[in-house]
Amino acid sequence: MRASDYLEHAWSNLWKKKLRTFLTTSGVVIGIGALVCMFAFGQGIQQNIRDQFEAMDLLNYINVSPRHGGAPTPADGDPDAQPRHTAPPPVSDPNQEVTVLDDAFIDEVLQIDGVEAAFPEMRFPAQVRLGDKEQFTLVQVVSSKGCGSGLIQLRAGAPYTSDEPNEVILSDTLLRRLGNTKSETAVGTEVEIRTITLDFSVASLMRMAFSRGDQRLPISDRRYSFKVVGVVERMGFGGALPIRSDVFIPPGAADRMRKLVLTGVSDLFQPAEKLAGYSTVTIRVASPAQVATVKAKLEERGLRTFALMDQLAEMRMGFVIMDMFLLAVGMIGITVASLGIVNTMVMSILERYREIGIMKAVGATDGDVQKIFLFESGMIGLLGGVFGLLLAKVVSFVINEVVNGFASGEGVPFIQYFSFPWWLCAGAVAFSILVSLIAGIYPTRRAARVDPVVALRHD
Amino acid sequence: MDADGFIQTTDLTKVYFSGPAQVVALHGVSLSLGRGRFLGVAGASGSGKSTLMNLLGGLDTPSSGSIHLDGKLISDRSKAELALLRRHTVGMIFQSFNLVASYSALENVAFPLLFANVAKKERTRRAAELLHTVGLEGRDHHRPAQLSGGEQQRVAIARALVNRPAVLLADEPTGNLDSKTSEQIVQTLHDLKAEQGLTVVMISHEEALLREFADELICLQDGAVLSHEILRARP
Ligand SMILES: Nc1ncnc2c1ncn2[C@@H]1O[C@H](COP(=O)(O)OP(=O)(O)O)[C@@H](O)[C@H]1O
Ligand SMILES: [Mg+2]
Repeated sequence: MRASDYLEHAWSNLWKKKLRTFLTTSGVVIGIGALVCMFAFGQGIQQNIRDQFEAMDLLNYINVSPRHGGAPTPADGDPDAQPRHTAPPPVSDPNQEVTVLDDAFIDEVLQIDGVEAAFPEMRFPAQVRLGDKEQFTLVQVVSSKGCGSGLIQLRAGAPYTSDEPNEVILSDTLLRRLGNTKSETAVGTEVEIRTITLDFSVASLMRMAFSRGDQRLPISDRRYSFKVVGVVERMGFGGALPIRSDVFIPPGAADRMRKLVLTGVSDLFQPAEKLAGYSTVTIRVASPAQVATVKAKLEERGLRTFALMDQLAEMRMGFVIMDMFLLAVGMIGITVASLGIVNTMVMSILERYREIGIMKAVGATDGDVQKIFLFESGMIGLLGGVFGLLLAKVVSFVINEVVNGFASGEGVPFIQYFSFPWWLCAGAVAFSILVSLIAGIYPTRRAARVDPVVALRHD
Repeated sequence: MDADGFIQTTDLTKVYFSGPAQVVALHGVSLSLGRGRFLGVAGASGSGKSTLMNLLGGLDTPSSGSIHLDGKLISDRSKAELALLRRHTVGMIFQSFNLVASYSALENVAFPLLFANVAKKERTRRAAELLHTVGLEGRDHHRPAQLSGGEQQRVAIARALVNRPAVLLADEPTGNLDSKTSEQIVQTLHDLKAEQGLTVVMISHEEALLREFADELICLQDGAVLSHEILRARP
């Protein structure tokens, strides 16, 4: 028998019993529909999270720091941002050559395949003054390239165009604290940045020695004028952000300033020799897919790395567990549906007992008979899978509209809660067919074993 | 008995075991039938006629003894091989017609061709041709329920012959028919034998009918051959 004959034969037999086929298939439709809805929901959630990460362009970053006690993330004080499984605990192998994160290192990193940008995590404390208000904050040095890479999302203005000018990007939080509530108007205005330095020059030491107490520390300050070119809208995702600051300036301008460089609060307590170089360098790779290889290269050099990709991988484990749970719930429906198939097939074989005898009398082998019935049961699966998928699409569309309808009243933006990747659609239909075939094994074997002499006997 | 029998059985025995009881349905049946001959099998109910036919058609296998068809031993073949034998070499008809009720006459006749891998167009063409042969032209799309008993048996004959078998086995084909129709059916079998060189084995408890059309007649009693008469000599 040809495959097309089997299909046609199966279809015409199912068509003859429309009601029964409809009812049995409905069981499969509901089972597969529920399963696909569950899965599509799981996928939708994951897709949303992935999209958010990608929209914020955070998955392309790797933070590197030397393998000493220094915090590998810039997010000081944020417990959630602590890398938990990204690197083994600090090792103090004396033979391990310490890679210093200096400008030469950055140049080297830029040679690695896939690396688009690398800039040091460099911060210094300063006072920022707008009009008559002043705020103490940490100034973050970011190259124009890093600034333009999408890491910093601007609400107004533009990133600075080169590494040189005295231009600054401020956060709207800081602007608010400085008394400007309409952050857009800040673009183009001048702010003053006042740095504090420890001055160990002879003159200053002399001054300290002979002063009468009003100036005990060799501290001096410098004032620099900066033009506001942009306002930061947001800096992505919580504390895991590679760069977190309220003030960003280009490295050229920073070089011209006298300042107390601070690459991390913990640096204040580090022995001096370990302070050589930057404490953290942020690296941007062209695509998240390259994170792993670049990370591996850096770790080979004894560096500690942190990437949000790892966090996502960790989350993926959670997703797998969620998927398993949804799958388990969905399987209940499938199990019930497959019992329906078994029942229908057994019934159908009992009814067509004589027909099976006829098949054998006219030359069908046991295998032919089994295949004829397996095609029928597989076709129930095919129909159930296709219509189950459609049902899932319709139901998820309705749920999505209703939920978003409520949510939009609360000002929540429209979210796709369900996602139907192609493999889910194909997999659902394939799975439905597979389940139906498995459900058909027992009844079809019974059909194949029918004794033609008994089936054809005159009664 | 001719040694070069087209159908030849030797010491054929079939024992059924139903629980602790044994039923000897056939006991040492040896017979030989030449190609193109019409054998009538008579005997009382329960004498083993159907058992003999099922063994000849390979629907069942003997407990001992052998069956040769066209010189080839078939009694040791596997189930699948016997299915192929029915597919290509042996056609069967039954007392209760055994048509598929939901199929049209044409679909019933074409059914065996499905298993013989014949293309759909050819299946339809051959089935229509066979329906014509048995005198049922124009009834292609009638279902068995819309046909008389005699017509149904003609559909069954057409179905048995659609694969152009060498042997036609008929188990009480007239058992459900009135005497006039019975005669017509047996006449048809006789004509087909004559036209197509078919070898026919027909079971009936109406000995007179067999005597009218068959070339040879055996009579079974309690699973054994009681008599074997040559009614018409080979031409
Ligand atoms: N499957 C079976 N199991 C047990 N006994 C059987 C079976 N088939 C037939 N018989 C017995 O074998 C004997 C011959 O049966 P059968 O060949 O059908 O006779 P006939 O066709 O001549 O009426 C009968 O006694 C019948 O009861
Ligand atoms: Mg009988």
